[in-house]
Amino acid sequence: MPLHQKIFFLTIAVGLLLVILELVRRRRLRVEYSWLWIASGATIILLILRYDLLIWMTDLVGAVVTTSTLFFFCILYLALLSLNYSVRLSALTREVKELAQEIALLRADAEGIGGGGGPSGDGSSPVRYNTGLGSTRFSDRR
Amino acid sequence: MSGVLVVIPAWNEAGNLGTVVAELRAERPEDAVLVVDDGSTDGTVEAAREAGTAVLRLPFHLGYGAAVQAGIKLGLRRGYDVVVTFDGDGQHDPADVAALVHAVREGADLVLGSRFLGARSWRGGLLRRTGSAMLAAMTWALTGLRLSDPTSGLKALSPRAQALFAASRFPDRFPDADALVLARRSRLAVAERPARMRRSRNRHGMHDGHRAVAYAFNMFFSLLVAALGQEEDLRG
Repeated sequence: MPLHQKIFFLTIAVGLLLVILELVRRRRLRVEYSWLWIASGATIILLILRYDLLIWMTDLVGAVVTTSTLFFFCILYLALLSLNYSVRLSALTREVKELAQEIALLRADAEGIGGGGGPSGDGSSPVRYNTGLGSTRFSDRR
Repeated sequence: MSGVLVVIPAWNEAGNLGTVVAELRAERPEDAVLVVDDGSTDGTVEAAREAGTAVLRLPFHLGYGAAVQAGIKLGLRRGYDVVVTFDGDGQHDPADVAALVHAVREGADLVLGSRFLGARSWRGGLLRRTGSAMLAAMTWALTGLRLSDPTSGLKALSPRAQALFAASRFPDRFPDADALVLARRSRLAVAERPARMRRSRNRHGMHDGHRAVAYAFNMFFSLLVAALGQEEDLRG
């Protein structure tokens, strides 16, 4: 790899790392996500400094040119990354739903709907509630 | 020694709720009625309060399944021995609730109101009938349950069924046929009773128009996911 190419790509990679570190420092990026980005930046630097590793990998996977190897692994990496985001999004969606429902149920407790401000789930013994829903009844946790 | 809670999920149903609640109240004066407001913007909350029901207000729109689930959670926590889910668009007939509640008290865990068992019921257009038949066949193949109307929104739940429906991983988009697969895997006793369905007055009904195709696709997919799911799905 010619020297001016190396310098150009190293500048980009180091710049990327600095941006990541700054984001972590300002708490804009959570630490647990940052290692992934730092590892990505480090991989770029490693491949610039040790171009022979890329050639070795190209031989290993049976590709013809090094750019194919590079693009293949980049795309694979991005695909896995977005899969990971989908999983996280699914978890967040479920958590937001649970929280929203819990807020509604707590508000119902506070307004005395369905339980007259009584315990909303942990009442271990039968308690008489004014349910606010029509009539008074026994309530017990199963 | 406990009562019946009728849960009515409502998203922008201000125009329908008054009639729905009045009919329900007239038919079943003993039951507690809870409207779950799913982030409506049209005065649904006021309409429900005017009709004299308690309102469980979700802070923003979560969707039909999650709204129903919120109501079931309240029923479970308050210890109702039967929770009935009843659509807010006027398509269900309060007269059918009694048979469902009775079936739960006789030992069933999950009882569905079926428009195909009801003699005088509106059964939907050709597309909907075809979709229902296919879902019924799939449900039968996956669970061994012969149900004529697996997508019915009119359901009665025992405390065991309430606990399953309230589980955090329970399908919360459209808990219909996939809910039945999970119910079956949790060894709940599932039954069906005739119910008369009326043509929905709701323009954004999830089974109607162009949404039906998306709905059917989602439902078939959720069915498979439910059938392949893990035991974790069945816990809270």
